[in-house]
Amino acid sequence: MTKNIIDINAICHTFADGYIGLKNISVSISKGEFIILAGKNGSGKTTFLRHLNGLLLPDSGVIFVKGLDVSKHLVQTRKTVGMVFQDADTQIVGDTVFDEVAFGLENLKVKRAEINKKVTLILEDLNLFHLKDRSPSTLSGGEKRKLAIAGILVMDPEVIVFDEPFSNLDYPGTIQVLSTIIDLNRSGHTIIIATHDVETVICEATRIIMMEDGQIKKDGTPDCIVKHLESFGVRQPCSSKFGMGLQPWLS
Amino acid sequence: MLHLLDVRCKFLMMCLVSMSMLSAQVFACFFYFLVLLFFFKKTGLNIFATLNSIKYFILFLFFIFAARALALKGDSLFSFYGLSVTKQGLNDGFLVAFRFFLVMLTGLLFSSTTKPSSVKSAVQWFLKPVPFVPEKRVAVMISLSLSFMPVILKQAKEVSEAQKARCGDLQKNPIKRIIRLVLPLLKKTFLSADYLVLAMESRCYSDDRTDPEFTPSGKEFFFFAGSVVLSLSLVCL
Amino acid sequence: MNNSKQLKMTVYTSLFVAFIAIGAFISIPIGPVPIVLQNMFVLLAAIILGPVWGLACVAIYLLIGLAGLPVFAGGTSGIGKLFGPTGGYLLGYLPCVFVTAGISKGLGKKMSSDIIAMVIGSLIIYAAGVPWLKVVTAMTYGKALAVGMYPFLIGDVLKIIAAAFIAKTLRPVIKL
Ligand SMILES: Nc1ncnc2c1ncn2[C@@H]1O[C@H](COP(=O)(O)OP(=O)(O)OP(=O)(O)O)[C@@H](O)[C@H]1O
Ligand SMILES: [Mg+2]
Repeated sequence: MTKNIIDINAICHTFADGYIGLKNISVSISKGEFIILAGKNGSGKTTFLRHLNGLLLPDSGVIFVKGLDVSKHLVQTRKTVGMVFQDADTQIVGDTVFDEVAFGLENLKVKRAEINKKVTLILEDLNLFHLKDRSPSTLSGGEKRKLAIAGILVMDPEVIVFDEPFSNLDYPGTIQVLSTIIDLNRSGHTIIIATHDVETVICEATRIIMMEDGQIKKDGTPDCIVKHLESFGVRQPCSSKFGMGLQPWLS
Repeated sequence: MLHLLDVRCKFLMMCLVSMSMLSAQVFACFFYFLVLLFFFKKTGLNIFATLNSIKYFILFLFFIFAARALALKGDSLFSFYGLSVTKQGLNDGFLVAFRFFLVMLTGLLFSSTTKPSSVKSAVQWFLKPVPFVPEKRVAVMISLSLSFMPVILKQAKEVSEAQKARCGDLQKNPIKRIIRLVLPLLKKTFLSADYLVLAMESRCYSDDRTDPEFTPSGKEFFFFAGSVVLSLSLVCL
Repeated sequence: MNNSKQLKMTVYTSLFVAFIAIGAFISIPIGPVPIVLQNMFVLLAAIILGPVWGLACVAIYLLIGLAGLPVFAGGTSGIGKLFGPTGGYLLGYLPCVFVTAGISKGLGKKMSSDIIAMVIGSLIIYAAGVPWLKVVTAMTYGKALAVGMYPFLIGDVLKIIAAAFIAKTLRPVIKL
C-alpha cells in the first residue's frame, strides 16, 4: 500500500437526485503511471476524477492518497493531486496570467518572495512568461489550457488529473498541451487523463481504464485494451484498426 | 513615472487633490488643468483619446452648465422665452462643470497609470483597518468579477447573435426581448460559476491568504508632499 | 454557514458585481430611449443573493468604481463620477438592494412579492438620485424629475416584470 500513490477501495457515489454515479470502484495507482480513463459521455469519468481530489466524497468505501484518507485530509490531498478541468475558461480566477498562477500558493499562505520565484519558474518552463501581464481571457485556447496547468503545477502536485484536456483545441493547441503533458510524465508526475478521444495519447499511456455506467469494465495495458475500445463506445485509433499497431500521435 | 509609484500613495494623492477641487476657484482650476496636462504629456497619454472616452460625461457637463446658467438668480445678461441667463449663473455653471471635469481627468490619469490588480491590492490594504470587512475576501471577489466581465461580454454577444440567426430581433415585445437576452446569459454564467467554485476548492481556496505586495519606487514622499502643497494652494488660490 | 456554501456565495456575488458593471453597457433599443440594464441587475442581485450578500455586491461594485476601475457608465470611474451629477443614483443602489432583498425575503420570495420589492427598490434609487441631481445642477424639483425620473419609468416597469420572470426561472436552477 505504501508503493501506491492512490489506493481506492470499493467506493460508491450516489447523487442527490438518486442517480448512481459510481458503483463499487477499486483501483490502485502507482507513482509515474500514465493512465487513460476512457468511456463514453455520461459513463462517470468526471465523477470518478472529482473523488481523487476530494471535490466529491464517496458514500461508502475509502480513498487513500499517499496513505492518507482523502475525506480527512482535504488540503494535503489537493496539494498532492492537482486537477485541470474540462473547460479552461471557467477555472480562471486571477485577472492576470501571473496572478492566476499565484492563486494556489496564496491560498497556502506561502511567502510573497517565494511565490514570485516559483511562479516565474513555472511560467518560464511552460513558455508563458512573456504573457505574464496579459488578461487570461485574451489568451488562445492552447495557452489557456497551459495556464490552467501552470496554476496547479506551481503547487507541486505529484499526480495531475486532466478532464478532457484536448476538447475545443485545434491541432497546434493539442500538440502544445500534449507535449506539456508528456514532459510532465517524464519528469516523474503521475498522469491521469479522462477522454473519449484515445488516439491522441494512447502511445504515451502505460495503462487504460475503461468505464461504463459508473463501473470499471476493463483495466490493462494499451495493447490489451485497444481491441475492445469500440465495444465501449470509444473510437479505436486508426493505426491499430488498420493493423499497424499503435503509432505516436506526436512525431 | 506615475506608473511606478506605489499605488497606495497614488490613490491618496488622487483623493487629496480631488477633495481640494471642491473648493477651488476658477484661477486655481486653470492652474490645476495645466498641471494635469503636464502629467498627461509626461506619461505619454493621448489627451484627445482620453477626452473622447468621456465624451458623454462632457456632454453632461454642458448640461449642468446650461442648467445652472438658467437657474441662478442675478443680473440678467439676456433672456429668451421667459428664461434669463444670468452673469452669476454663467460663472457658477462654468466653475462647477470645470471642477467635475478636472476631477474626472484626475481619475482617468490614475486609472490609466495603474494596473487593475494593483488597484485591488490597494483596496485590500485600505480596508484592513475597517472592522467587520473581510478585506482578503473582498480582494478575491474583485479579481473574480474582473475576470467574469470579459466572459460575460463574450457570451452576451454569442447569445444575441444566436438569436439574430433565428430572427429573434423581430420580436416586438420588449419584456420578452429582455428575458431572451438576459436569462440564457445568467444561466450560462451561473453554470460556469459552479465550475469555478470547484476549481477554487481544488486549489485549496481559503480566506487566510498571502498578502499582496507593494513595490514603492522610492519617490513616494516627494510626490505626496508635492500633492499636499498642490492641494493647499488650490484651496487658497 | 459551511465553507463550501460560503465560497459559492462569494463567487455568485462576484458574478453579480460583473453583471452590474456590464449592465451599464448592454442596452436594448426600444423606442427612442434605449433601456440600460444596470438597475435591473441590481434588483436581481437583491432578490437572488439576499440582503447581506446583495449589499456586499453593490458595495464592491461602487468600491471598484471609486478606486478607479472603469466600471461606471461610459467606461468611467473615480470620485468624479460617484460624486458627479448622476452619483446619487449609484449611491442609491446601496439602500435599494438592501430594502429590496429584505422585502422579497420577508414576503417569501414569490413572484408578487418580488415585484412589490422591486418597485419599492426602484423608487429608492430615484429618491437618492433625483435630489442629488437637483443639488448639482441647481434645477427645480419639477425639472429634476422631468429629466431624471419620468423618461425612465416605462423602461423600469418593463425591466421589473422581466426581472420577476427571470428570478422565478433562475432560483430553482441555482438552488440557493
Ligand atoms: N450533480 C449531479 N447530479 C445528478 N446526476 C449527475 C450529477 N453530476 C453528474 N451526474 C450524472 O452522472 C453521470 C456521469 O457523469 P460524468 O460527468 O461523470 O460523466 P463523464 O464520463 O465525465 O461524461 P463526459 O464524457 O460527458 O464528460 C451522468 O449520467 C450525469 O448525468
Ligand atoms: Mg466529464
